[in-house]
Amino acid sequence: MSRATRTALVRDDRTAYEAAAGSAVGLSGIAFAVGLAALLGLVAIDAPVAGVGLSVALGAVLLALGAAVVGFGVASRTGYVDTGPQPSAGIVAAAAFTGIWVAVGAAASGAAGLGTGGRLGGGAVLGGVAFATTALPREDIGSTVPAGAVAGLCGLALISGVVGPGWEHALVGYNATLFGDTVVPVVVLFASLVTGWSAAKASGGFGARGRNVGAYVLIYLVVGSILAVLVGLVAFVAAKGLPGLLNGVSVGGAGLVSWPFLTNGAGLLADVAGVFPALVGTVWLVVGAVCFAVPTGVGAAVFLSEYAEQGRFTGAVEVATNGLWSTPSIVFGLFGAAFLIPRFGNQKSLIAGMLTLGFMLLPLVLITSREAILAVPDEYRDASAALGVSKWQTIRSVVLPAAIPGVTTGVILGVGRIAGETAPILLTMGGGVLPAKAAAPDVLGSFRLSASPPFVSNPALLEATSALPYQLYALITAGLSGNIRNPQEFAWGLALTLLLVVLAFYAVGIATRYYFRQKLHQ
Amino acid sequence: MSQTDTAETAETAETAETAATTVNRTDGQDVSTTAGETAEETRPEWTSYDAGGETKLAVDDLDVHYGDDHALKGVSMDIPEESVTALIGPSGCGKSTFLRCLNRMNDRIRAASVDGSVALDGEGIYQDGVDLVELRKRVGMVFQSPNPFPKSIRENVSYGPRKHGDIETGLLARLTGRAEPDREEALVERSLERAALWEEVSDRLDDNALGLSGGQQQRLCIARCLAVDPEVILMDEPASALDPIATSKIEDLIEDLARDYTVVVVTHSMQQAARVSDQTAVFLTGGELVEYDDTEKIFENPESQRVEDYVSGKFG
Amino acid sequence: MSLTTPRTDWRASIERRLTRTRAFVDDADPEALAVILASMGSLLVAFVGFLLASAWTAVPFGAFLIAAGYGWVRHQALVARAVAFAMTTVTLVTLGLVVAFIFAESIPAFRYETASVFGVSVPGLGMFAQARWDAVSEPVRYSLLPMIHGTVMVTTIATLVAAPLGVAAALFVAEIAPPRVRELVKPGIEVLAGIPSIVYGFIGFTVINPWASDAFALNGGSTYLFVGMVVGLMALPTVVSVAEDALTSVPDVMKDGSLALGATDWQSMTSITLPAAFSGVSAAVLLGVGRAIGETMAATVMLAGVPRISDPLVNVFYGYETLTSLIARGYGSANGVHESALFAAGVVLFVTVLCLSVGSQYIEARMRRRLGGAE
Repeated sequence: MSRATRTALVRDDRTAYEAAAGSAVGLSGIAFAVGLAALLGLVAIDAPVAGVGLSVALGAVLLALGAAVVGFGVASRTGYVDTGPQPSAGIVAAAAFTGIWVAVGAAASGAAGLGTGGRLGGGAVLGGVAFATTALPREDIGSTVPAGAVAGLCGLALISGVVGPGWEHALVGYNATLFGDTVVPVVVLFASLVTGWSAAKASGGFGARGRNVGAYVLIYLVVGSILAVLVGLVAFVAAKGLPGLLNGVSVGGAGLVSWPFLTNGAGLLADVAGVFPALVGTVWLVVGAVCFAVPTGVGAAVFLSEYAEQGRFTGAVEVATNGLWSTPSIVFGLFGAAFLIPRFGNQKSLIAGMLTLGFMLLPLVLITSREAILAVPDEYRDASAALGVSKWQTIRSVVLPAAIPGVTTGVILGVGRIAGETAPILLTMGGGVLPAKAAAPDVLGSFRLSASPPFVSNPALLEATSALPYQLYALITAGLSGNIRNPQEFAWGLALTLLLVVLAFYAVGIATRYYFRQKLHQ
Repeated sequence: MSQTDTAETAETAETAETAATTVNRTDGQDVSTTAGETAEETRPEWTSYDAGGETKLAVDDLDVHYGDDHALKGVSMDIPEESVTALIGPSGCGKSTFLRCLNRMNDRIRAASVDGSVALDGEGIYQDGVDLVELRKRVGMVFQSPNPFPKSIRENVSYGPRKHGDIETGLLARLTGRAEPDREEALVERSLERAALWEEVSDRLDDNALGLSGGQQQRLCIARCLAVDPEVILMDEPASALDPIATSKIEDLIEDLARDYTVVVVTHSMQQAARVSDQTAVFLTGGELVEYDDTEKIFENPESQRVEDYVSGKFG
Repeated sequence: MSLTTPRTDWRASIERRLTRTRAFVDDADPEALAVILASMGSLLVAFVGFLLASAWTAVPFGAFLIAAGYGWVRHQALVARAVAFAMTTVTLVTLGLVVAFIFAESIPAFRYETASVFGVSVPGLGMFAQARWDAVSEPVRYSLLPMIHGTVMVTTIATLVAAPLGVAAALFVAEIAPPRVRELVKPGIEVLAGIPSIVYGFIGFTVINPWASDAFALNGGSTYLFVGMVVGLMALPTVVSVAEDALTSVPDVMKDGSLALGATDWQSMTSITLPAAFSGVSAAVLLGVGRAIGETMAATVMLAGVPRISDPLVNVFYGYETLTSLIARGYGSANGVHESALFAAGVVLFVTVLCLSVGSQYIEARMRRRLGGAE
């Protein structure tokens, strides 16, 4: 086979073009960040920037970005730079730009005072043009011109003040009004996304490589936003909650730490209101749920993976387990209320809450334990069996020890999940909004034996008890008010305590997994 | 959708040479290996072989590290055009690593670092600004176990050209009248014929490729590679997962391909190397190229004692 | 599990099992057998006693503990097996009890809301055939439609948030991220799953609702739009982790094959990995939808709690009630048919989510079979 053309391995130099496109991506990123800050109210859209309002300045940036993006496309199409565009921008881009321009057309026709027919017509016309512009020409034009036009239009709207500070648009029938303060940032976010993607494609030289770069820019942005939300959430709760949590903390006095928020109740006598009863309630809840769910779940996992033959029974258990795992927590609450409460003294009680959460934890423990046991290599079992060791001995001394890391990790993560659950205990455990310290359950000290059935009783288990998530909910429904000095601060402190308890479980769980994995690799 | 011929695709007992392969060896000449090799110093003249003809791939002083593990040591060799070069050696000798350096598939392994140079027609493939897409279009690869995509046979063959924008299919192309079903059809037929598979599958091009037998799957992978019109075809133990009949078909195909392409084939089987290759390079424990010469010379009268021991089956 | 087994197979399998049991009984030590019978029997009695709310439940349970403890010392292997079997049945029994109790409690409401179609009276039809929920003033009606509408609104918005972001993040974790970054991002997303829903609700109630009320000049800050976004954020980790599992289960050699042909990473992802893992990824989205439907606390504290259908139907700036928030808010103060109607809402939730779960399991099983043929 003869090859007429042999393409060079190293691309022609287009450093300047790539750098220009790269800085367009960067500028889009900056515009995105500023738009986000404006949306969150960190900066005002009429704040003065270089003599004009922020909104006008952002409009100018968008217009420039739009022009730049179109420029990249034209430079590539006219052969000014050597790129590798494909014959068409592709069906996904065509569909996306059609959608965008249909919306733009409909909105513009609506703003021009046309009726429903006019909107449809305007949307259809612009959508059709956008489709043709994206799908028919070569990729370098198809993926830049419609994008640049979107950004340019948004930029013009902001510069001319058609949309800007003080602008408002009542959504008739929706009982809502759009203000410039929210619409301007949203427009900037959207337009900078479009130009960022388009410029990223250009910087990759269009074609397969360009698409790769464009998609990566979007994905990195998505993941960055998710992580930012995560960090932002935790930091926000921490900032709001720390004053409450640290209220009255003192170190000293015979080297003891005094932490009233965690060791006090919220009674009238406490000088600093605290969450002690709810904290103890949560601890007992978790202990109770673990005592029920872990032996049961691990036992079932052993039976399913070691003894049972694959068949209808195991299939049914698997479906039931997955069904239970996805059952909404509120349904477990209803079940606990209907099934457990009548059997434990006909009132909301600690033990009803424990068992309800135990039922929730069971499928999680079962699934993770089963995975951990199945991950134990069969060679271990065969080796043990070949030495004449009985099946149960093999399970006890080979399989279970090898599965312990997985089981532990699963249990800890599962506990973290149920410790923060509110809905089930709302229906089964109840408790006061601001319990005094005396309301903390004393489970160990309350066991009573009696001569008449049921022979063993424990009043602490049978009483309505508060827990951290429930107390937070109760405070919210009470309108964040109560017989304490600063209910707002108290509630944020409570939220932070809850978050820390749950995240501690997760941190320990993840660290355990990491530790065992490291050990495995050594 | 079940596999029609599971026996053929059954896992082979041979361990694949992976990045994690550890080689027990000390530095310097006093090689005391656990594999039963005698200690011996490698002489440069054993590997400075000139096959004649145009050099397609020139490898110069290539070193590969996986983390702390030195997987390839200063390998230099010239691979001639339009011939079959076999790379043989025991497990963990670095021959697959070497092969994966030739189209930079080692870039996929993040711990791997490559020093030295490889030139394709005189152009360095490890220099800055190399377009991997272009490189891999020109240097195709066939893997140890057949890995067709879970798509139809036709889509498998036209995958490469479609991804490179050489052939347009799909809704948009049809809408805008740019689809070229005839060209695609011709390309699929030509590639499958070249891979000696056309006869067997011409009536079921729209069936899922996973329904083919292992040998057919491997030839489909070769056809898939040919459809991109490469210059070099790298094959990593292409027949190790196949039964003897399928293997011999693949071997015939390799010899046939060498008329138009530069074929580099890694193999575990010395018989295979002897049957199909024009020249053979022997890698031994430690990631060293010990001897590189005409296949006949290597198998009948090698210079190195270790190579002689290896080809006569004393270790490996 | 094949569903088309002929009846003769059933019979054969039962016979086989009987013979095996007989052989087992013949082989086993009679004392061990007695211990197992005693322990399992007393456990069963204890369970029945608990079901009947008998005060004597503790007695057979104590007997079970004694028998099992004795057996553990003497016949450990057999007892362990029997106890493990008993624990396995707990899962099935739990699901059975959940179904039985929720359904039983909802019967009065279904009866109350009987409506007739073509002369046939269908219990419960009234819940879906009209749109009035009023437990206080006459006529007292328990339509679930307003809440179903709310759930659909919230779930749709949540899915629009969670599905694309979740799949993109899963692609990042499974395919794009360098190992070091993955070691950071993966636990980060898991932690996101750990933030309790009431904390989200609290932030929504104290921060988002007032902001929304201000920014859109709303009459009160309760909106399906922002509840949906918050719920989407909560469903996101589920989508990411399940989709990531599906993506990593695609054999590496397939991706290598694509890359070796000169395709870019993104092309390999979209043309090979995603299609091969398509069922797994859709199962992930289905599970995320299930999470969003069942999410309770954020909706409860952020919504206004008015059982009404918004007008126009797609008005995302209203926020009334979802099925879950109806239960959480109403339980405790409700009684009689009203309480039963809450259980009916629970039944609707449970059945919907169970269908989603079974559906996603079916899809995943299909994917495993398909990829199994590829390896």
